[in-house]
Amino acid sequence: MIKQLILIGLLGILFGVFFVSMQDIQELYNTFGKDYIAATGFADTGSRNLVTAILLDYRLFDSLFEAGILLIAVSGVIWISKHESQEKNAQFMLDKFKTPDLFVTFSRLVYPLMLAFGFYVIINGHVSPGGGFQGGAIIATAILILYYIDADKDTNIALIVTIEKILYIAILLVASLSLVSRGELFTNFFVIDASPDTKAIYLVLLNVMIGMKVALGLWTIFTAFLKEGR
Amino acid sequence: MNPLLTFVVILIGFYGLSTSSNIIKSVFCVTIIESGVILLFLNLGNLDGGVIPIIGDALPVGGIADPLPQALMITTIVIGSTVTALALMLCIKVFHHYGTVEWAEILSRESGK
Repeated sequence: MIKQLILIGLLGILFGVFFVSMQDIQELYNTFGKDYIAATGFADTGSRNLVTAILLDYRLFDSLFEAGILLIAVSGVIWISKHESQEKNAQFMLDKFKTPDLFVTFSRLVYPLMLAFGFYVIINGHVSPGGGFQGGAIIATAILILYYIDADKDTNIALIVTIEKILYIAILLVASLSLVSRGELFTNFFVIDASPDTKAIYLVLLNVMIGMKVALGLWTIFTAFLKEGR
Repeated sequence: MNPLLTFVVILIGFYGLSTSSNIIKSVFCVTIIESGVILLFLNLGNLDGGVIPIIGDALPVGGIADPLPQALMITTIVIGSTVTALALMLCIKVFHHYGTVEWAEILSRESGK
């Protein structure tokens, strides 16, 4: 009891520090960066969605390492979940509990819609809310619904991870193409004077590749967990 | 929403992290802290109001929200989800090894060896 009171007191002190530091936030806050991106973002990158403009052009370096961390985490999950005995097709947790027929029927209805919506979100990442990371998550969810429809589905994790690694190298290559055309790393490989519509080709290409990579990564993680729960 | 409220969410996560007796609950508390941080950043990017940072032919009236914190938070969400998956996988391995996911029991068993 006394320990918890001390803990709450310490957390109160933390809150006090934060409260004091937030007092002059209105003076510290400025809109220079926001105004610059709003004024020049579309002409610079060809992306109407300014978040995508930052993710795939201004700060592409960040996004590349983000995708790299996803790849490392997937490798870690697979390595930790490795089993001594090599089973060919793991019995999934789902078929222990009989899936209700209603679930299966509605999964069949929803599955193509989710796939289509995921691709829509990926491809329109530069004009509407969305992008590679979000759309990839939607597609991964759609693939997971497949396990409701057919629990005996065989998944070759090694193949998926190999495709993911190749995709990551391809993303790095596409991102470094700008060294040839613009003379600087990790930006759009079309020249800076190109029209926004031309630049959008690069955005769609990179969004699709990142979306595929994220979808494959999340699929791998989910399959590893399903095998644990058998 | 006030930035102070988002900091309360972070503090709730800290409190749970310090008091939870179960490994899985600790992982949940880490995700709660993460949600608090995401809310805090999104708040700070939109202190003076504004609409989503998607521009049509003209800038939207009333200004836009700052797109930079939003782009950073996409990074946080993706990394957070994968790190949570990694932590939960470690939890499964701990359970297979010790037969329990209670901190106290694991610690006592380790010190008893």
